[in-house]
Amino acid sequence: MLGVLAKFMMQVRFIAGALALAFTIAIAAPATAQQPTTVNPTASAVQERQLLQELNRIQGRVTIPDKKADLLEQPAGRDWRQWHQVTLRWIGAIAILGMLALLVVFYLARGQVKLEKGLSGRKIVRFNAVERFVHWLTATCFLVLAVSGLNVTFGKALLLPLIGPSAFSTWSELAKYSHNFLSFPFTIGVILIFLMWIGSNIPNRTDVEWVKRGGGIIGKDHPPAGHFNAGQKMIYWIVVLGGGASAVTGYLLLFPFYGTEISGMQLAQIVHSVVAVLFIAAMLGHIYIGTIGMEGAFEAMGEGTVDVNWAKEHHPLWLDDELNRTKETQAQAAARPAE
Amino acid sequence: MARMKFLCDADRCIECNACVTACKNEHEVPWGINRRRVVTINDGKPGERSVSMACMHCTDAPCAAVCPVDCFYTTADAVVLHSKDLCIGCGYCFYACPFGAPQYPKVGNFGSRGKMDKCTFCAGGPEADGSKEEYEKYGANRLAEGKLPLCAEMCSTKSLLAGDGDVIAQIYKERVSRRGYGSGAWGWQTAYRETIAT
Amino acid sequence: MLTKRSERQARRGSLAAAVDSQAAGGFDRRTFLRRSGLVAGGLAALGALPLSSVRKAEAAGPAVAGATIRKNICTHCSVGCTLIAEVSNGVWVGQEPGWDSPINRGSHCAKGAATRELVHGDRRLRYPMKLVNGQWTRISWDVAINEIGDKMMEIRAKSGADSVYHLGSAKFTNEGAFLFRKFAAFWGTNSVDHQARICHSTTVAGVANTWGYGAQTNSYTDIRNSKTILFIGSNAAEAHPVSLQHILEGKESNRANMIVMDPRMTRTAAHATEYVRIRSGTDIPVIWGMLHHIFKNGWEDKQFIEQRVYGMDDIRKEVAKWTPEEVERVTGVPGAQLEKVAKMFATQKPSTLIWCMGSTQHTVGTANVRAFCIALLATGNVGGPGMGANIFRGHTNVQGATDLGVDIATLPLYYGLVEGAWRHWSRVWEVDYNWFADRFDKTTAADGKVTSTMNTPGIPSTRWFDATLLDKKDVRQKDNVKAMFVMGHGGNTVTRVPQAQKGVEKLELLVVCDPHPTTWASMAPGRKNGTYLLPIATSYETNGSRTASNRALQWGEQIVKPIFESKDDLEVMYLLAKKLGFADQMFKNIKVENNLPVPEDILREINRGGFSTGYCGQSPERLKSHMANQKDFDMRTQRAASGPNKGDYYGLPWPCWGTPEFKHPGTPLLYNTNLSIKEGGGTFRPRFGLEREETLPDGTKRKVSLLGNGYYSKDSEIKDGYPEFTLGVLKKLGWDKDLTEAELAIINKINPTTPDSVSWAIDLSGGIQRVAIEHGCTPYGNGKARANAFGLPDPIPVHREPIYTPRPDLVAKYPTLPNAVQFRVPNIGFDVQKAAVEKGIAKQFPLILTSGRLVEYEGGGEETRSNKWLAELQQDMFVEINPADAAERGIKDGAWVWVTGAENNSKAKMKALVTERVGKGVTWSPFHFGGWFEGVDQRANYPKGTDPIVLGESVNSLTTYGFDPVTGMHEPKATLCQVRAA
Repeated sequence: MLGVLAKFMMQVRFIAGALALAFTIAIAAPATAQQPTTVNPTASAVQERQLLQELNRIQGRVTIPDKKADLLEQPAGRDWRQWHQVTLRWIGAIAILGMLALLVVFYLARGQVKLEKGLSGRKIVRFNAVERFVHWLTATCFLVLAVSGLNVTFGKALLLPLIGPSAFSTWSELAKYSHNFLSFPFTIGVILIFLMWIGSNIPNRTDVEWVKRGGGIIGKDHPPAGHFNAGQKMIYWIVVLGGGASAVTGYLLLFPFYGTEISGMQLAQIVHSVVAVLFIAAMLGHIYIGTIGMEGAFEAMGEGTVDVNWAKEHHPLWLDDELNRTKETQAQAAARPAE
Repeated sequence: MARMKFLCDADRCIECNACVTACKNEHEVPWGINRRRVVTINDGKPGERSVSMACMHCTDAPCAAVCPVDCFYTTADAVVLHSKDLCIGCGYCFYACPFGAPQYPKVGNFGSRGKMDKCTFCAGGPEADGSKEEYEKYGANRLAEGKLPLCAEMCSTKSLLAGDGDVIAQIYKERVSRRGYGSGAWGWQTAYRETIAT
Repeated sequence: MLTKRSERQARRGSLAAAVDSQAAGGFDRRTFLRRSGLVAGGLAALGALPLSSVRKAEAAGPAVAGATIRKNICTHCSVGCTLIAEVSNGVWVGQEPGWDSPINRGSHCAKGAATRELVHGDRRLRYPMKLVNGQWTRISWDVAINEIGDKMMEIRAKSGADSVYHLGSAKFTNEGAFLFRKFAAFWGTNSVDHQARICHSTTVAGVANTWGYGAQTNSYTDIRNSKTILFIGSNAAEAHPVSLQHILEGKESNRANMIVMDPRMTRTAAHATEYVRIRSGTDIPVIWGMLHHIFKNGWEDKQFIEQRVYGMDDIRKEVAKWTPEEVERVTGVPGAQLEKVAKMFATQKPSTLIWCMGSTQHTVGTANVRAFCIALLATGNVGGPGMGANIFRGHTNVQGATDLGVDIATLPLYYGLVEGAWRHWSRVWEVDYNWFADRFDKTTAADGKVTSTMNTPGIPSTRWFDATLLDKKDVRQKDNVKAMFVMGHGGNTVTRVPQAQKGVEKLELLVVCDPHPTTWASMAPGRKNGTYLLPIATSYETNGSRTASNRALQWGEQIVKPIFESKDDLEVMYLLAKKLGFADQMFKNIKVENNLPVPEDILREINRGGFSTGYCGQSPERLKSHMANQKDFDMRTQRAASGPNKGDYYGLPWPCWGTPEFKHPGTPLLYNTNLSIKEGGGTFRPRFGLEREETLPDGTKRKVSLLGNGYYSKDSEIKDGYPEFTLGVLKKLGWDKDLTEAELAIINKINPTTPDSVSWAIDLSGGIQRVAIEHGCTPYGNGKARANAFGLPDPIPVHREPIYTPRPDLVAKYPTLPNAVQFRVPNIGFDVQKAAVEKGIAKQFPLILTSGRLVEYEGGGEETRSNKWLAELQQDMFVEINPADAAERGIKDGAWVWVTGAENNSKAKMKALVTERVGKGVTWSPFHFGGWFEGVDQRANYPKGTDPIVLGESVNSLTTYGFDPVTGMHEPKATLCQVRAA
């Protein structure tokens, strides 16, 4: 994150510099209206070193319509390279490998979280077809985006030596196209997730307790939870905010120079990649807990139904709500006069 | 061994754009791809200087470092070239390049980038020297014919210098000492991590 | 930069070795391929992805082994850069730097480096076309020549020969220019003009009236020797980029002062050591302001003035009026700055003055030029290295076309239109003088006196449409202009385009011979019939000589054959002459092969008659030898130190005296008395009499000699001034004995009755020149330059405000000249200026509008705007406006604006370029655009596929009335406009 911070400071400096420049021009303007008695253009020539010291970039005027070409020098590209080649790799490696290591340790220590009372055999609907479609749409896109994205940062080091440059380029090109195209369904998925589950993901008092008890890791019993426990809510917000952030920054990169220029794109890439690797790390945890980490969890998204006992243990408040709602429905049905 | 470099003497550059059209003409570079361009700093004010800029063929080139597919290579003359067969058009080299050298043709959807194109120091690409394939992908290979980049060869005021870094640095040095002024070897510190003491 | 041939060859070896070696730190191609596995093919199963960005090469390919090398001269300006073309199978495949050229040493500008595109011809006119009921229709050459010829004869019969206007080109070769002038002479009109009218006609008039010849005295390369370089109204960095190589190198090595005076902080000014912002159209006050300081401080060259200048005292009187305060009031230049500049110019010598269209294109153009010459004379800065009037001409061969008389007031080589001049050319052409006399229209005045238009100057190109639109009685010839025969000249290059459009619509016949349809084809949408477009080969598709601005001739060889159905200028002129019935006379001494006159023969004819200007020594053989042996010439001295042309100056800059056999080396610097004439020296030319009667204040009269005073060139046997040489003068000196019998025979044949009157200029034997030069004398004499050019409307240049001035308060004191009839048409500038002041035009249109060049384009711009490499660099017409003016009007950089002009309710839509290049109250636009009118794209008016890539409003839609009285020069450099956001 230090890199990001440094980068951000650099942006601030750019802006400050630009303001300083605008200010100088503003001061200079009235002076030029009055002809100075002697003007020596050669002696007053701009000096490269001075310009770089002031703004760390040199910008001028070009005649071609491609106005981005007016940026003559941006040594910041070198800093971005440092970020991309060193800092990002460390962040990515620590986040992803760290998460994997954590999960392995956790698995070894705790094993699969079993249902205490075993299966009841009675099922209750947890996610309907629409919800599952949206989830899997987003998830599939995410996986492809993650792999193709990681390829850009790590492929050269990990995959290229194995399959050789030509195959790697072909694969990377395919990955690039997949990354670009799948960003659209992914974004739609994130938006739908946001709308669909926002109601159940507003943090509340229950979550405080849940968090205090580490979601059950501390102590023996399960802390109570509604439709979504605080952990799931965290995943939700990671998906919504992380997905949103990577989508926004991704589109800035996908549509170069629309609303950004080179420094903006460098910043976008930094945000995009940091968010992405953290996102991936978080999703590893999510995948773990939704599959081998917890008995009975996968069915929720796999089949849409969960065992009542699973619900009782993990989401007792939600189960109560569901049961109450069912009762109410039945009561209403019963109250209806018989024909 | 020659270490090829460019040097634009801004105190000579008059923004005549000969370098730009020489490049376009020699390599048949299409509209919208500007391997070389001239930027004018402080336009219209006393102190105005124009600088012709293209790929500087950096020492430890950032483009090559960040390329996800490693499509760049540096020749024995220190010319930074790339393979269009390997390039995937990701744009990373553009973020890293301090000089805005990489250019991308717009292909198909949403302005996305095609395979990168840039100044080759008139040294072509990985294909056989002087072959049709090389010409179609990268343009002429003048270096292989013993000629220097045409932009510098045709420069109207001999402002743009191309060739062995030591030789052109010496020329620049002599010029500055003869005339008594120089706005700097533009881009050298950034590209080569060195300046020309004058 | 490894520019030397030997180094380049050495480099080849080391590079090849470098590429082959597998040195550490880099890969060669093979290593890279092996490593990347590309050789073995990639992940083929995935197939090719649609990343099809690898472009297909179009016209060119990789360098072809065994390509033929052809040398020609870049067509885009007057510097004379050598082009090296590689030709393979009749296609121009590559262009290499011409290292051997002592002029450009391999360099080019944007235009020169992209010029190969011209003959690939994407947008060229492919075949003759004719407008039939508003539709462009393809016709054959035969049909075209027949129909055009018939129509010309019809107009001739009905309205007279002068009703067919002949507009020629500065892109002709010398041979083309000469033939075009000859064609007009054989047709019987003096209304024959070309681009020099609108660029340097005032220079030619002003300079010739000062010291003899109207040309650049020194050369581009000679500026290297200057210590002070003063530019006024010249943006050489964009107009003559390669000249800056010499100027900047000179500036650097001499630590020279480089002063730029211009209303605009140009790319040239960026490299100046002193930039002086002046108000458009105030050149004379600025120069007089300088001279004020020079005379006041005694910085003038008194000896030079005494020996070589006539009338400087008259200048002192005028200059005395221009106190620093008055100068600042009129021009805006502070006195202290002008004093500094004046001191540099007068004391840090040699100083040169460079000027261009910023100064020549004014109603006071000739007077401006005269003021510049006077500044040079006053400081003794003429006639030596690093000095002089370095006048940068425009096109490749505008100097040659001017020399060869594509001009309304002269026959080839400045012989004038007097009977003697006609008789001279009649002798050269071997055509009876009376035959010519019969070709011209005769007008009978009220008193019954019959005059032939043979001896009256024609109508300038700036006024052709006035001659079409004005009442017949107001045009002083038999009838209005009814037909325009245009070869290689744009239609948008003259001021008052809205008027010109009306003129075009009224023409009975419009013939445009050009590689492109040009703006003529698009500027009159109302025109439905009677327009012919004939495709002409470019300069690169023809053989012949061109004269660069430094008066040096270079022979360009045909690079490729004319493309499509294009024909050489010479061939078209021959075909038309044949149709009109005078081909046999006109081509009497010129061989014609397959309808194509042989250019070498034409040049020999020029040599035979070109004695007045020293075009007599440059035979095709000598010129070709110079081109073939360029490497022998030294860039700094322009002289060959070895080889077959040893001792010659490159391109035999005129005057190159005597016959080719005389082997005169050419004259690199005019009026250089430090060299003997035989080695390229010279003296001022006494053209205006030998003495002049002056009236002193007390009424007494005295005669003042106009000959050099105790001053002469090296090795001169006459140690004082002397008149021009005739046989009579030779006899007086006893030098006639040196003439050979053959020479004497020719002289006697020229004038059997009074052979003594035969002068150096009409002696077809070259003997008089030879003998004078053998005795160290200049054939034309040794005279004084004129500070007082009696005979001109303003013999002493005086300031006159532009017709549309932003300072109406100054008009009363500095009015323009009274109305007069000039060149057959009325010039009502005085009335227009008066009306503008009375109507308060300067309040409605508060911004000065001035125009100029872009480096990417040339002239009217159709040719260069059709070149894709150039068009990409400048895609929109624009107007430069100061940030303060833009802010007042809410105009943003790059936004569309409407610019309105002071006449014709003119308006033009273009983009704003907000910049401090222009000062507050000033706007500037390039003059290369055309093809839009009042915001409407006229692309549909071009024949399909021939429209230039980039179109835009012509700035001349906005420029206004105003003509120089001496030459008819227009005034596009100082007018008024208003700008508002669109």
